[in-house]
Amino acid sequence: MGNSRNEMKKYLRLFNISFQQEFAYRLNFILWRARNVMQILIFFFLWDAIFSGGATQIFGYDKAKIFTYAFALIIVRAIVMSSRSADVAGQIANGELSNLLLKPINYFSYWLTRDLSSKFLNILFSIFETVVLVLILKPNVFIQTNPVYLISFTLALIIAMFIYFTTIMMTSFVPFWVPEIVWGAQFLVIVIVVEFLSGAFLPLDIFPPTVYQILRFTPFPYLIFIPIKIYLGNFDYSMVIQSLIIGTAWCWVLWRIVNYIWKKGLLVYEGVGR
Amino acid sequence: MRELEGNMKQLLYYTKIWSMMAKNAFLNWSTNRNVLLVFLFGKLIRYAFSFGFLYFLVRGTNGFLGYSQNQVLFFTITFVLLDTVAQFFFRNVYSFRPMVISGDFDLVLVKPLNALFRILLGGPDPIDLITIPPIIFVAIWIGALLHPTFFQVLSYIILLLNGFLIAAAFHIFVLGFGIITLEVDHMIMVYRDLTSMARFPVDIYKQPLRWILTFAIPIGIMFTVPAKAFEGYIGPLAIIFSVVFGIVLLFFSLKFWNFALKKYTSASS
Repeated sequence: MGNSRNEMKKYLRLFNISFQQEFAYRLNFILWRARNVMQILIFFFLWDAIFSGGATQIFGYDKAKIFTYAFALIIVRAIVMSSRSADVAGQIANGELSNLLLKPINYFSYWLTRDLSSKFLNILFSIFETVVLVLILKPNVFIQTNPVYLISFTLALIIAMFIYFTTIMMTSFVPFWVPEIVWGAQFLVIVIVVEFLSGAFLPLDIFPPTVYQILRFTPFPYLIFIPIKIYLGNFDYSMVIQSLIIGTAWCWVLWRIVNYIWKKGLLVYEGVGR
Repeated sequence: MRELEGNMKQLLYYTKIWSMMAKNAFLNWSTNRNVLLVFLFGKLIRYAFSFGFLYFLVRGTNGFLGYSQNQVLFFTITFVLLDTVAQFFFRNVYSFRPMVISGDFDLVLVKPLNALFRILLGGPDPIDLITIPPIIFVAIWIGALLHPTFFQVLSYIILLLNGFLIAAAFHIFVLGFGIITLEVDHMIMVYRDLTSMARFPVDIYKQPLRWILTFAIPIGIMFTVPAKAFEGYIGPLAIIFSVVFGIVLLFFSLKFWNFALKKYTSASS
């Protein structure tokens, strides 16, 4: 009992330190948030222009629901995509990983804790930004009141966070084998593939049904698109359950892959630079 | 006549130096072929995704704000083209901060070469050079579907060059701020994000944001106006105004650079 409490204290301390570190680079953080807001503005005004033609439903969304999608993007992105574990790739490439391996701490728990700290700060800011933008732009938004959808939305967010964490870890392990490609794999997967195929750029149902159905069986829509669709109540209950099952299955598969790559990577790790 | 000859010599001198710097930058990249391939592949996927999404969006909505599907696509390809060309030429700006911090900028200042030229154009990006031809091809292809007149094409080319001048002015401002505040990386990211707002015509934004994006942060003049001229929405007066605006902005950016240069402290050197 005492042992687990000590463990808990260790991670709480880590959470605190990591949280304070976020304030060390204030300009960096503020600009990161400003960039998020700009992306939402583009999304919002684009759809506002599209609906100005008089259509009431486009791709299955009415105006209120697509605006809710825009504002949900701010918060869901903050919850899912705020992360410190992008630094893992650099640590492996420059040998800093050796320092962490020597410490009495679980490597994955360490980064999960740091991610949670980053998410906490980003969530606070994203709520503030959402309130300000709603007050300025005064859009019609859709408020979900059905508890089934709200609980499912929460579960979908937990799944999304875990999928994002494992995806970042996988791409960060590439420098074990190719140290010169430090950010290359992250650029390819996180900056490009995840950004587009998660639904952060545009809702995925603008695609033809076949493409959309194929995408549903990849892990990417479970990061942004599926949680927001669940919140909007655009899925019936069976579809919600199916989505949660597929998302959970992806968590399991990705976690197994991450562990496999991690073990293989440690065998070839040479701590170059230390 | 003698002055013209002198200017021509100067132009040839700088062209030769630029080609040498470009060659060096390319050789530098060629030592890291894996990285080059990953980033090239990434950029190609990004363009494919951007266009794929946009294609399905305009197909499903049949255009918007009175613009047809092809017109909307042409706004976006104009943005991609100008953005990529600017990145190709001005990539070296991204590495200016370490030079100022370490004092290595001194080594540029003592050379018999314009320091701004060296910093602004000193490291073209080969990845962008590879992607520019297919982008031009797509621009011509979509543009041909709009059946422009000769005047519209000519206006477009003039305004694209003007957009390039504005991009240069933006980068010079960033360099100037870099000397004064030691902050380059964030400024350039803010510039990139602001320009990305012109991926669609600035008409989508409501006032006063639209006015700000057209005149205060003139990304509208950079990206939207050339495409509008191509589509026949812009008259000669607006074209002249845009070009004058671009030249004035460049003039002020050069003034600001000279002002900033006097603030350089050569710290750490």
